Amino acid sequence: MNGPGQRQLRNETRDETGAKNMKYILLMSGTRAGIEGYHTWSKPDIEAHMAVLHRINKDLTASGEFVATQGLADPRDAKVVRGEKNGAPVTDGIFPESKEFLLGYWIVDVASSQRADAIAGRISAAPGPGGKPTNMPIEVRQFANHESKSD
Amino acid sequence: MKYMLMMNTMKTGQGVLAWPEKDLHAHIAFMIGLNKELQERGELVSAEGLSFPDQAKLVRAGNDGRPITDGVFPESKEFLAGFWIIDVDNPERAYAIAARISAAPGAGGRPLNMPVELRPVMSGPPQEMV
Repeated sequence: MNGPGQRQLRNETRDETGAKNMKYILLMSGTRAGIEGYHTWSKPDIEAHMAVLHRINKDLTASGEFVATQGLADPRDAKVVRGEKNGAPVTDGIFPESKEFLLGYWIVDVASSQRADAIAGRISAAPGPGGKPTNMPIEVRQFANHESKSD
Repeated sequence: MKYMLMMNTMKTGQGVLAWPEKDLHAHIAFMIGLNKELQERGELVSAEGLSFPDQAKLVRAGNDGRPITDGVFPESKEFLAGFWIIDVDNPERAYAIAARISAAPGAGGRPLNMPVELRPVMSGPPQEMV
């Protein structure tokens, strides 16, 4: 079983959670070279970074906007799979140097696109080495199956 | 073992809109059937489709913490079109599910054979971050 934070909230339960009916996914990505850079951060810098991300998750839960968050394992374990003629999987682990890998994501349920941008801005401003904001770009994407609240 | 299966597309991924309606319906029916089967086996954690890349934005925090949005992406950028999070017994099962997604029917009912990116999900933050 999965924790409540990792489960999709179905439409009929949204009202109880204070959800706002516009779902966005905030994607944090990086190239393999960029990701290696994180391994050079000092322990206090990593802890300060994680503390801010935890704080953001807590705030989103309190405001009823939190749906799910997840970190992905190192891109070294990434594979690309294609189905052969008979449907058998063909796996490959070679990616172009320029490829951006997903590091992690947040799914939020908000009242406006501006609110989604503001949350992404907070994530982007999480502290990096020396406590300076990372200002890393966060991709903001709306879910395809958004419905209007009036149904 | 949790995995995220990602279906990626280039900006031209809107080509699906040019498919005949019958083919689009067959594709969607396939995906709904697959999700139902994964759910019945207790392997589906979540599955979502994203809106088209023309609505994607990149957000950075300005010096004052305010969001700065940008909608310009390199031509080569891959956009996430949709994803599945599955909870399976072994990597081989994850590969098999990814292959089924890859073989989803496209225009004319032919298998798309699209690449599906497969990534292990972290069960928790790395030890040094706790």
